[in-house]
Amino acid sequence: MASEIAFQATGIEKSFPGVKALKGVSLTLKTHSIHALLGENGAGKSTLIKIITGVHHPDAGRLILEGQEVHFASPREAIAHRVGVVHQERNLIPRFSVAENIHLEQLGASLLKPVDYANLNKQAARWLEALGLDIDPRTPVSRLSVAKMQLVEIAKALSLRSRVLLLDEPTASLTPSETDLLFSFLRKLRDSGASLLFVSHKLEEAQELCDSVTVLRDGSNACESRPMEGLGRQDIVRLMIGRAEGDGGWRKRDTPPGVPPAIELKNVETSLGHANVNLHVRKGEIVGLYGLVGAGRTELAKCILGQFPLTAGTVEIDGKPAKIRSVGEALHIHRVGYVSEDRKGEGLVLMHSVLGNAGITVWRPLSALLGFLTDRLVRHKVTPYIEKLEVKTPSLAQTVANLSGGNQQKISVAKWLAAGVKILLVDEPSVGIDIKTKAYLHDLLRELADNGTAILLITSDMPEMILLADRILVMNDYRLQGQLINDGSYAGMSEGIMNLIHRSEAA
Amino acid sequence: MNGSLANAMRSDWFGPLLVTIIAVVIVGSFNPSFLSPLNIQVLLLAIAVNGLIAFSQMLIIAIGQMNLSVGAIGGLCAIVFAGMMDVWHVPAPLAALSALSIGVICGIINGVLIARTGISAFVITLATLSVYKGINLGITHAQPFYNIAESVKSVGQGAIFGVVPWLMLPTMAVGLVLWFMLNRQPIGRFILAVGGNQHAAELSGISIENTVVTAHALSGFLAALAGLLLVARLQMGQPTIGDDWLILSFAAPVIGGAILAGGHVSVPATLLGVVIVAIITQALVLFDIDPFLVQVVLGAMILAAVGANRFRESRLSRKLKRL
Amino acid sequence: MSYPDLPAKGPSGDIVGKPRRNTAATRFYLTNEFGLIALIVLFALAFQFATDGFFSPFNLFSLGRIAAVNIMIGLAMMVVVITGGLNLAVGAIGVCAAMTCGYLIEVVGLPWPIAILSAVALGAMLGFINGWTSVRTGLHSFIITLATMSIFFGVMIFLTRAESYRALPPVFAAFGRMKLLGIFSPLLLVSLMAALFLGYLYNLTAVGREMLAAGAKPEAAEMSGINVGRIFIYCHMLSGALAACAALMLVARNGAAIPSMAGQLGQDWLLIAFLGPVLGGTLLTGGKASVLGTCLGAFLVTMLTSGLLLLQLGDFWIQSFLGLLLLAAVLMDKTRRTFLARRNMA
Repeated sequence: MASEIAFQATGIEKSFPGVKALKGVSLTLKTHSIHALLGENGAGKSTLIKIITGVHHPDAGRLILEGQEVHFASPREAIAHRVGVVHQERNLIPRFSVAENIHLEQLGASLLKPVDYANLNKQAARWLEALGLDIDPRTPVSRLSVAKMQLVEIAKALSLRSRVLLLDEPTASLTPSETDLLFSFLRKLRDSGASLLFVSHKLEEAQELCDSVTVLRDGSNACESRPMEGLGRQDIVRLMIGRAEGDGGWRKRDTPPGVPPAIELKNVETSLGHANVNLHVRKGEIVGLYGLVGAGRTELAKCILGQFPLTAGTVEIDGKPAKIRSVGEALHIHRVGYVSEDRKGEGLVLMHSVLGNAGITVWRPLSALLGFLTDRLVRHKVTPYIEKLEVKTPSLAQTVANLSGGNQQKISVAKWLAAGVKILLVDEPSVGIDIKTKAYLHDLLRELADNGTAILLITSDMPEMILLADRILVMNDYRLQGQLINDGSYAGMSEGIMNLIHRSEAA
Repeated sequence: MNGSLANAMRSDWFGPLLVTIIAVVIVGSFNPSFLSPLNIQVLLLAIAVNGLIAFSQMLIIAIGQMNLSVGAIGGLCAIVFAGMMDVWHVPAPLAALSALSIGVICGIINGVLIARTGISAFVITLATLSVYKGINLGITHAQPFYNIAESVKSVGQGAIFGVVPWLMLPTMAVGLVLWFMLNRQPIGRFILAVGGNQHAAELSGISIENTVVTAHALSGFLAALAGLLLVARLQMGQPTIGDDWLILSFAAPVIGGAILAGGHVSVPATLLGVVIVAIITQALVLFDIDPFLVQVVLGAMILAAVGANRFRESRLSRKLKRL
Repeated sequence: MSYPDLPAKGPSGDIVGKPRRNTAATRFYLTNEFGLIALIVLFALAFQFATDGFFSPFNLFSLGRIAAVNIMIGLAMMVVVITGGLNLAVGAIGVCAAMTCGYLIEVVGLPWPIAILSAVALGAMLGFINGWTSVRTGLHSFIITLATMSIFFGVMIFLTRAESYRALPPVFAAFGRMKLLGIFSPLLLVSLMAALFLGYLYNLTAVGREMLAAGAKPEAAEMSGINVGRIFIYCHMLSGALAACAALMLVARNGAAIPSMAGQLGQDWLLIAFLGPVLGGTLLTGGKASVLGTCLGAFLVTMLTSGLLLLQLGDFWIQSFLGLLLLAAVLMDKTRRTFLARRNMA
């Protein structure tokens, strides 16, 4: 089969306030091909996709579609050029039917001509059938499960008969059998001549499905549009993180067995569906909690913090049962802190200053009679930690939104250090930050543990987990599946973790 | 349970319809004069005007915004309509047409300002509310226009079979057109799509700006039409027309199950919301209960309705989570 | 609210973005507050030339009296706007409080200081109802306060039969008529005290900071240990209390408690309530407040109204001018923000 160039992006640059997201990225897509776009979180994959589909406009660089340079002023124009996309976030109208969602783009031919729903349903049924989906096209999308919604979005992109189809993490919420179905369909599509771009951070999937690959690292090409053939997993990882994974860094840390647990969960059940959770973290220990997206790890942290009620079992802090009803109580009474995975949503108040964010946890303890509190007092308390973490900011008055992701993350850690917490729950600490800051944060977490802080580390980044944790607990489907004592060897540990996850899926 | 009955109970109009029937039965059995032709005519007159006011706000709720200037647009168009007939002796149809175009223009101004600047609809319509109302007062100096065309007066007083007021016809027509538009026509679907998930609508190639402006233009048109009907009903152009529309315009759609975040409104349920408000207002009069309490009842009904909608939503989403 | 500009002394205190040449002084010229002061001076001079007696003691006195009430109304809205919500019931709460004060003095016969305190307490309580309902149901305060505006006002009218209380102790009217230094109304001092209190609250207390943080990003504030629900209820109570103060000041100005003093449902206060904060640079999405800006904004509006009336441009058009002013203010604010964001980026 003849394969020709379908789409090219060359020298794409894009800046957002405070960050240069893309620094001259190139990409070539061919017909009859599935191309993998890989990179760590924050490497610029989503930004690149948004530029190709007209959501963002590049600061520099060119987009070439079948030999013609194109400029997409809006997603509408990209669609008109038959560049289709399935975005990471859900993009369906909840109360509309499946058929109408699939054909939303095509409704606008005339604004007043009545919609022919019978025809729409018939058309949609065809696409649903092609994807092997047994859904009545008249069902409102809001009644579907998340996985089905994802497949409807794919049907929607397919219905545009796109020349170029971009899929941003399409398997994130699919079960293995749904994934297989999707893959076989994508292969069929490829064989019929389509050009597909597949974005994922699941390397196994990309290797199984794709024939060529582009890797982004820190907003630049680590490799550009080369054949997948001949690349091993280790090679790709090296391209993604700039070094081989799991090499060095791990250090055996011994916590004397006599040290009592700082926090212990006994037979905890929660209103979110956790059952029979037993775990403990001792003073000075780093305990990892590994699991895939949706396994219930962040949810468990939030239940510990009193955001959702426990339905059975107890949480003990320093050996005493603790009833935590809010983050405020967790912080001020029990000295528990939580570094959120969602830095922009719940970690930081982006529009406020560095000082306003780093000091937020110490306002209450510092305030005197009638809540009296001066900036000087807060600054005095917070500055040592801002300096210790080497936060790069022109001043404490700088708005946090204008700092880079790495510096933002440092601040969202610094505020808990300033509060002097004894137990720290750390959720995906290196999402969207650069390699240097990541290494720095790793050192910091180790140092904190050495000084006696109990750390529960939640991450889906396996190398990070194996680099840091003393023990690794594996969670799947809101239940703990088992525990591994970390020995620092990537191959052994990752296999052990995957076995624990798969064992539970088989059961 | 029977499938179609279960479906009916899930729909938006079921609850309001039940409340309407119960209210009619209760009020009618305590006070038979409630069902007299005269009383029904009064009731229908109120529904005719209030229905348009509710529809005007409903369209803006559908796109997930709010329009505080519904009353100001209605009032301005009412006095333009009456004033043109009174001062310039313009024929009624021409005056009506001009007034309606002014309503559309006012709506377009709202829509363009909101869509182009991205400033919240609340602030923009609060500002234009004051601009439109100020123009109204500037023209009238707070004095009514009395000399309106006889044809308008007779339409305002006439009734079909002595019961159904002529003024009911435009409202019913508007209701049908809106229902068809929101359920069948692409433009109506776009309005609901923008309200349901603006981001998704944009990525699907729907022009947010055009949709928002269209919704506001229609809203302005309906507010103007409500103003004209009120002129016909009152037999004069009062500058105070529209001053008390705000609460009502939100009450009826919300009672009809409209989601304030946008994306979901129901024409028949909104109309039933208007009917319920009218019945209760009328009942307060019939039972000699203090008319001052109407405001309290309206406010309480809004609270009850948003509470109930909220409850339904959360039950629905809980059900989904279990799937 | 701004923190003093202290450089972080980290070993690698690199500067993110562009090296800043502009000093604190040049940045002050870019603030809303400076713009408002410039506008106030400009219009004051213009009115001085265009009208007779703009600076006459009588006009200054009446200007101050009106401005005092408008500032208080603006502050009452501002304290809720920082939560990202709003309070449509400011007018209704204000009238309820004023009528309660009149009732307690005239009918119950309580001494006036107790009546005033009770009225302010009632305002806070009605604010509590708004805040509690909004927090508990998770609904936006727009629809909640739209409903309570109707309920509060309806109950008030029902209980008072729309009658005024006119036989208030002379101390009220005397306070309203009192002149300090021949031109200042003591009502201005009341507003000044409220403004100073709010300035203290937001800059020098933990609760005030928590209000701003909770308003800017409720989820982040909650996950940082702030009880956001309780803080939002405090904001609504504060708003109710300030609305009550504004209404009591209006009673002092009018010498009577009148049910229609804020118009139908208290809606007449809405425009001025939003003009002050919006002109002053308070973000409607929450998280940023400018007490000084709100005061200046409310003062500017009062001055423009008074000047336009003196120019005899037709009082009926004033409302349109105010509406256009609000439009102009939000549009300019939008432009300024875009401009500042671009400069920060470059």
